[in-house]
Amino acid sequence: MNTLTSMKYHKTMFPKLLLSLALTLPFGASAVDINWSGFGTAGYTISDQPYKYQRFIDDHGTFKRDSVLGAQVDFKFNQQWGAAVQAKLSPSDHSDTQWQGVLSWAFVSWRPTDDLLIRAGKLRVPLMLNTENQDVGATYDWARLPVEVYSIAPTTDFVGISISKSWYLQEMEWTLDAYTGQATNYTRYYGREMRDREPSPGSWFEKYDIKSSGLVLTARGLDNVFRAGIHEAVISQPDGTVGEIAYRPLAPGVGYYDVANGTRVEQVIVPYQSIGASVLIPGNIRLTSEYAHIKVTSASRGLTRWGAYLAVSRQFGAWNPYIYYAKTKSSEASLDLYRAINGNINPMFPPALNNYQKLGADIVSPYDQSTSAIGTSYRLTPSSLIKAEWSQTRTGIVSSFVDAPSGGDSADQRINVFSLSYNFTF
Amino acid sequence: MRKLLITLFLFGPFSVSLHADEALVLIGHSTLQKTDLATLQRLYRGRVVSLNQQAATPFNLPPGHPLREQFLDNILTQNEEQYSAYWLVRRYVGKGTPPQELSSPEEIIRAVSTIPGAVGYVPLSKVPAGSNIIFKR
Repeated sequence: MNTLTSMKYHKTMFPKLLLSLALTLPFGASAVDINWSGFGTAGYTISDQPYKYQRFIDDHGTFKRDSVLGAQVDFKFNQQWGAAVQAKLSPSDHSDTQWQGVLSWAFVSWRPTDDLLIRAGKLRVPLMLNTENQDVGATYDWARLPVEVYSIAPTTDFVGISISKSWYLQEMEWTLDAYTGQATNYTRYYGREMRDREPSPGSWFEKYDIKSSGLVLTARGLDNVFRAGIHEAVISQPDGTVGEIAYRPLAPGVGYYDVANGTRVEQVIVPYQSIGASVLIPGNIRLTSEYAHIKVTSASRGLTRWGAYLAVSRQFGAWNPYIYYAKTKSSEASLDLYRAINGNINPMFPPALNNYQKLGADIVSPYDQSTSAIGTSYRLTPSSLIKAEWSQTRTGIVSSFVDAPSGGDSADQRINVFSLSYNFTF
Repeated sequence: MRKLLITLFLFGPFSVSLHADEALVLIGHSTLQKTDLATLQRLYRGRVVSLNQQAATPFNLPPGHPLREQFLDNILTQNEEQYSAYWLVRRYVGKGTPPQELSSPEEIIRAVSTIPGAVGYVPLSKVPAGSNIIFKR
């Protein structure tokens, strides 16, 4: 059984195994405490631009960017053993037109002592402060977690094992999480003139196998939380991945970039780091800030970037207004590469070759953008809230969050986005 | 009739509000030992599952119950919104579910007397003789 078939087997069989375990473990059916819950977001977003931003947002408006429906079952066999399964329905991660139901997580947990928690199964990476609960809009006040930071990780899910060790020092609980596992990830690309295997513009998805490991240290009190993590992903495809985009000289000073026939590598090692904090300061003001950095040495080296944001919020009864500023930028080397390929348009070339240069530039996948946002949440009930937000994104050299129009690019754009959502749990 | 009305006033549904500020104690199954405030707070926040290395199962009263509000305020130093929000996040990061809720102090007393490791809070005036008081403020 090869790796891909093995992973598919795990995806379909693991929940069945988990359910069987829940029903047949020698704890007795009456000892199993089963707790059902659900969550959802009905979110509408519209921009003032005709092109797509973040896959779905344009001036026609969409429900696809933020809407999700999920359910979770928690099993408690006793104080040491438990299990959880969470599923969600949301836009597909490998199609711009379909919705899909997926298992967010399905794991068994064992707590042999108060300070040790071991979980095995499908889990979510403890990356940023809200990575684990990012699908549950009712658990945070922003309309949308800053994409500049929350899109950095190559994957947020994995099938593997996680071990958490906790210590209590005064009012803070310190937890060290260690995890390792594997996952399948789909990375979306957008070609403004042509796609990987199609002569017309549009999106396509590349499937990658990812093995990831990491260490995360979290300090949590009642009002404040701090987190730092180091991670590494090993990314591969069955036929290898393009490592370097080749340049083919045709004449002195004339040549073309050949992304499809670049040097292939068996795997790409991707280190990434994250740090963040959310603190309550005098005046009941909350400051939240996070930073993440990732390095990718493949044809898509524009994915080598940093992202950060600073948010300020304050609660006034049921209202929680906020503002935030977020920014992400690729490495100068990848931005230089993008500009070189994107600018390599020659009137002597046939149109297909010039379009091929644009494809190469798009595959570099660079980012250079910032977003300013102002919004508020209003808590209707303990389990539901409404959120509204206006944000403005400015791109610099380029942004791969933008599906650039044919004949153009994503440089120097200003995108206003209005978002409204209803978030609930039950 | 007047005596009946007075009796109902003193011992009827209003009796809970009359005792809203009465001392609250934590009682536990006979197998449990006394504990401290910090450990109790961690137990009700799901951060520990034992007291003095004995498996412990905390029980709550439902939201809105005056005794629960008193417990959250005096013991956990949180209000209902903060406590619910805390458990909402904890549930959806896969770290457990909130303590089971029972409808009345009487049910808590019954649970504590029969379920090994059970812990709950009741008014001091309702604690049966011989109960294991594991924390009192």
